[in-house]
Amino acid sequence: MNFTRIEIPKPARFVSTVVENHQLSSRYFLMVLSKPEGFPDPAPGSFLHMAVPTSGRFFLRRPFSIFDCNGETITLLIVEKGEGTRILRELGAGETVDFLGPLGEAFPLLPGQRILAVAGGVGLAPLYYYQKFVSRTLDKRVCPECYQLVYGGRSEEDLFLSAIDLADEGSLLATDDGSYGFRGNAAQLAEVELERNPVDALFSCGPTPMLKAVADLAVQAGIAHWVSLENRMACAVGACRSCVIPVSAKEQAGKDVKERYKTVCHDGPVFNANEVIWERLPEP
Amino acid sequence: MSASNNDISVKIGPVAFKNPVFLASGICGYGEEYASIIPQKKLGGIVTKTITLEPRAGNPPPRIRELPTGALNSIGLENVGLDAYIREKLPLLKDLEVDAVVSITAETEDEFTRIAEAFAPLEGYRGIELNLSCPNVEGTALDHGRDPAYVEKITSIVKERIPKKTLWVKITPNLADVGLVARAAEAGGADAISAVNTVIGTDFDLSTGKPIFARVGAGYSGPGILPIALFKVWEVAHSVSIPVVGIGGISSVEDARKFFLAGAIAVQVGTALYSDPELPIRIVEALRAHPEWARREGGST
Ligand SMILES: Cc1cc2nc3c(=O)[nH]c(=O)nc-3n(C[C@H](O)[C@H](O)[C@H](O)COP(=O)(O)OP(=O)(O)OC[C@H]3O[C@@H](n4cnc5c(N)ncnc54)[C@H](O)[C@@H]3O)c2cc1C
Ligand SMILES: Cc1cc2nc3c(=O)[nH]c(=O)nc-3n(C[C@H](O)[C@H](O)[C@H](O)COP(=O)(O)O)c2cc1C
Ligand code: FES
Repeated sequence: MNFTRIEIPKPARFVSTVVENHQLSSRYFLMVLSKPEGFPDPAPGSFLHMAVPTSGRFFLRRPFSIFDCNGETITLLIVEKGEGTRILRELGAGETVDFLGPLGEAFPLLPGQRILAVAGGVGLAPLYYYQKFVSRTLDKRVCPECYQLVYGGRSEEDLFLSAIDLADEGSLLATDDGSYGFRGNAAQLAEVELERNPVDALFSCGPTPMLKAVADLAVQAGIAHWVSLENRMACAVGACRSCVIPVSAKEQAGKDVKERYKTVCHDGPVFNANEVIWERLPEP
Repeated sequence: MSASNNDISVKIGPVAFKNPVFLASGICGYGEEYASIIPQKKLGGIVTKTITLEPRAGNPPPRIRELPTGALNSIGLENVGLDAYIREKLPLLKDLEVDAVVSITAETEDEFTRIAEAFAPLEGYRGIELNLSCPNVEGTALDHGRDPAYVEKITSIVKERIPKKTLWVKITPNLADVGLVARAAEAGGADAISAVNTVIGTDFDLSTGKPIFARVGAGYSGPGILPIALFKVWEVAHSVSIPVVGIGGISSVEDARKFFLAGAIAVQVGTALYSDPELPIRIVEALRAHPEWARREGGST
């Protein structure tokens, strides 16, 4: 398939301040950061490696996909999981944060091709940003109308309808409990949508079972599929080899390579789904 | 700010470094990964990821778990192998103007010999660190890191082939008597002892009841190992007359100072780099402002 890799700027360390932490639902919040001077335009799929500001204990940094980025701000969509995300949620406007970024490989540009992007939960971030990125980039190679976003959350609360009007922006919505839109997950809604409107490629980001279901759809339809994966990280720049996933091994120079790993932080987080070994994907 | 021009260079074996602050092996990859994030050329140097004769794929994931006091890792020496290192990684270090010490390990005497011979005619690196202490692989030499006779033999094999470079032997803290291995390395001609590598530990997943890591044992690093590392460095400094490079748990300028007090002539920053990439540079600046904090000569006090 004809695709273009978006050029990735070199990462650096930045210090910035919280503009606002906006609670969207009981579990989700938007963290709006002031865009530091010199922060390059991030590609959709890129992430930041955020320091957890505390003197209480040792923390590795935490990776978060870029949900939006404009002239003044960078926004993250975060779901509270444990202590790190709780500390980040409790930061007030004006407090200092420190991050590395932008990091990782982005979703590719697919000139003139139709894409169905399937997002579950917090996996919305990179796929929402892709839509923004494409509509802002007045690049003839891409067409915003060719990009259809499907988003699924647990219930209506997780669709943040009051804050981000996804329905207004033409996205298709699903809830696990059927409290809004299609009843089921984003992959199930994507299956229905694919029957109606075939596409050239699938993008996905979200919980592993959903990603796996999208991978099956892509295989059945015989179309390309790019997926954004997660794993625990230490360096986030490809140095420590902590965040690897097994990928399908090819014969290398006549040698039978038993194992092959790629880093989620540097080779990914966006992978061509056909190299992912789903059965052996580690649970972060 | 004349203090910031203070000379804090340090000589370790035949090689002088501009200051005594390094990045530890396995932390900063091959030097290129952090190139746009920290000015590595302002450091004394970096120790690159341990390489082996053949490339290694490393251990299956998960490879890392965070603890409130550091991290457990089970990387399993994933590395590009000797040939790719020399062909692709070594030239990069020159472009980056980074002073590098190359970390190597092997499973047999013959392999150590072949690696040392490959480096003997090369330039673009300042020395070799022998990793005889990685807990995350089953290799004979790594277990032999506990055997003084073997350590002496390997050290002399490598040193003979790189007489003009500095040779550091990195030891494990997972030994009752680190002095024994350190003295063996000294007898084999080591220019310094790097102490320490990670402390062996493990963790269990309460939801499955199983160990987190496939190999069960993993390498514990970060602030929690500081007191262990400091004591091992103190013991080594009292056992040998060659310099000691202190490693383990450094997460502040104060932590680094304690290694000099324990008898180290230089320090390496490890896991803390991941939370605080500026730390090594802050240590360099603090030492320039207070050169009396650093130690210029090896050996015990
Ligand atoms: C490339 C990438 C992009 C990400 N983007 C986002 C995002 O846009 N928004 C968002 O909310 N989260 C995102 N995550 C996940 C986020 O990094 C974790 O949820 C977060 O680090 C958890 O930190 P904690 O201290 O709150 O949880 P912890 O107390 O560390 O862990 C609690 C639980 O969270 C899960 N977890 C921990 N670390 C990770 C991790 N690195 N990845 C996935 N799950 C993890 C595990 O199930 C763990 O048991 C992303 C992860 C990656 C790798
Ligand atoms: C992810 C990771 C990878 C490592 N890889 C190596 C390695 O390849 N060779 C080596 O000699 N030490 C390796 N180490 C050990 C460190 O160099 C250092 O000795 C140890 O982490 C203790 O220092 P710290 O507490 O400051 O991290 C590694 C440590 C970590 C955390
Ligand atoms: S987190 Fe270090 S290599 Fe990916």
